[in-house]
Amino acid sequence: MTVWQQIADTAGAVLVFIGAAICLLGVVGMLRLPDVLSRSHAATKPQTLGLLLVLAGVALRLRGGMDVATLALIGFFQLLTGPVAAHLVARSAYRTGQIERCELLFDDLDAQLTEIQDAGPAQEPGRRPEDGREGGGEPGQEPGPAPGPSRS
Amino acid sequence: MRNLITLSFRNPDLPPFSCEFAGRRRRVLDLPLIAWLTLIWVLLWSTLSWANVVTGVVVAVVVCLAFPLPQVDYGLRLHPWGILLFGGYLLYDMYTSGVKVTRQIFAGRPHRPAVIAVPLRCRSDLMLAATAVAVSNVPGGSVVEVRRATATLFLHVLDADRPEELDAARRSVWRLEELTVRAFGTPDEIGRVSGPPPSIEGDDDRREEA
Repeated sequence: MTVWQQIADTAGAVLVFIGAAICLLGVVGMLRLPDVLSRSHAATKPQTLGLLLVLAGVALRLRGGMDVATLALIGFFQLLTGPVAAHLVARSAYRTGQIERCELLFDDLDAQLTEIQDAGPAQEPGRRPEDGREGGGEPGQEPGPAPGPSRS
Repeated sequence: MRNLITLSFRNPDLPPFSCEFAGRRRRVLDLPLIAWLTLIWVLLWSTLSWANVVTGVVVAVVVCLAFPLPQVDYGLRLHPWGILLFGGYLLYDMYTSGVKVTRQIFAGRPHRPAVIAVPLRCRSDLMLAATAVAVSNVPGGSVVEVRRATATLFLHVLDADRPEELDAARRSVWRLEELTVRAFGTPDEIGRVSGPPPSIEGDDDRREEA
């Protein structure tokens, strides 16, 4: 084993460790942040970065052409699919009122949705999150036929 | 009698790099798509051998025939230098804002999150989707809703109580949009994103009321 291989192994181990630590940070963030949307920040972004670092570390230890290509494929799919899942969670959480609206400083999307609805009683701030479901938008009150803001 | 297989350079009606199977139902195969599926197949097997490549092509063709995609011009162009810049910026941004997210998580004070609307300059579906994916990969905002008609992204941002944070979030979205389009867009779209970002005066008024 040459010196370079030892250096690559050590660097790989360090990268795997950092990646795992960043993933752990994301979990801590999920526990500390208050609502779904904030948690989805902590759940997706540090995970992606952590996974990429772990993959880089593993690639430094494996050093085989095809293995590295497979790892790159894993990273690529993580980058591609993570946002889709996060977006769907955030979107359904928003539309079913599972978020603390009173916590939001302002909300551009709510204004647009209620504009289209043209009926929606104004959101009462200061409701408890459990009640948010009733005020926010039951499936029945959902924007209805007209808006159906298009999916990506 | 018609040919069983027509390649796209013989028939100008077909999209570029595709071949057509004549039959009872007309099927058009997208050759880059088949190459991409084959590449993934080989990577999943982790061994580059003729057997893998051949079975990969067979599986890709069968998949494309069994689940045909609608024929669209995706407007996808690959600009190598743009892709390099895009990837580099994405990694750099993920790294720098990893620190920021850590600070947000461990900050003692409560956050004031907000949902902001960011109008985009590009209009094509693919660019809109690619920008949304890129935006949600970098910390700063997570996409809550995408409105295709107006090409507007709705982002949930943490720490919205400072105006400069909001401006920074908007600017970073526009920056990512420009990089995305410069990496994958058609010349038309690139011309569009070279212009200034759309104005958001209406938003500012409403924010002052709030």
